Amino acid sequence: MSAEEEENAAELKIGEEFLKAKCLMNCEVSLILDKKYEQLQNMSDDPLSQTSQVFEKSLQYVKRFSRYKNSETVKQVREVLSRNRLAEFELCVLGNLCPETVEEAIAMVPTIKSKGRFQDDDAIDKMLRDLSLIKNLNRYSCWVHPTFLWSLLIQ
Amino acid sequence: MFFHMVLERNMQLHPRYFGPHLHEKLTTKLVKDVEGTCSGKHGFVVAVTKVESIGKGLIREGTGFVTFPVKYQCVVFRPFRGEILEAVVTLVNKMGFFAEAGPVNIFVSNHLIPDDMEFQSGDIPNYTTSDGSVKIQKDSEVRLKIIGVRVDAAEIFCIGTIKDDFLGRN
Repeated sequence: MSAEEEENAAELKIGEEFLKAKCLMNCEVSLILDKKYEQLQNMSDDPLSQTSQVFEKSLQYVKRFSRYKNSETVKQVREVLSRNRLAEFELCVLGNLCPETVEEAIAMVPTIKSKGRFQDDDAIDKMLRDLSLIKNLNRYSCWVHPTFLWSLLIQ
Repeated sequence: MFFHMVLERNMQLHPRYFGPHLHEKLTTKLVKDVEGTCSGKHGFVVAVTKVESIGKGLIREGTGFVTFPVKYQCVVFRPFRGEILEAVVTLVNKMGFFAEAGPVNIFVSNHLIPDDMEFQSGDIPNYTTSDGSVKIQKDSEVRLKIIGVRVDAAEIFCIGTIKDDFLGRN
């Protein structure tokens, strides 16, 4: 089918429905599935019998590949990435893969360069450094007071 | 990539359930019917998060069944061609390796593995660079790019590559 041949995430050709839908990073999915699993645990003694293999595999996957563990940090990551005019899909790929250099970021999400969203590479670099700051603070302390983190990021 | 979407489905309900717990029964049936399934358009439905609305039921001619249009929010996983994501290696052989990213399986052929990586057979088959610095074996985490997506009856299967920049073992 021609629609499937045109599909190409590297050019953000993923179909109207998905471009408009809310994209979720692995860490966000982890929080959602955890909550769902808790609900199932409260309702029955054997929650695993109520879940499909798809659910279990997805839960294992997002737990393994979540870069940020607590919900405050996840919110901050989304906030930092949303400051730039990115599509949901681009935002989530960057949040999931956490590229360290501008070159890597462009290789992961070619459309950030091709669609002219950033004025120059420095803007991309700033965004990556902000992300990296959150990741390091997340690693070294479980909870950082949001206003403290905010004051570091708005510089 | 995971998405949070609103989908719609027509649910049929037997008259025995028409009573005070009709909506709950519909919700349970929806979750049972839809969670874990896969479609070519939306990918795998991982979990239903909320039932948004249940429309007016329509009685089917000839039987007593009633069809309700149900709108629900759910988390889906849909891989796209050109998408770069991380996966866990599940099987390594001389043709390439299989990796799993959530509910989806991805195959990376040895043609799309960098030339400087060679297959080593043995107890733990793996692909290793000539200097031994990078090794890909079962349970390794790799970053790969999806170059093809195929939809079967109830499953999505992908082909990937690790031959580009910044791909491969982390």
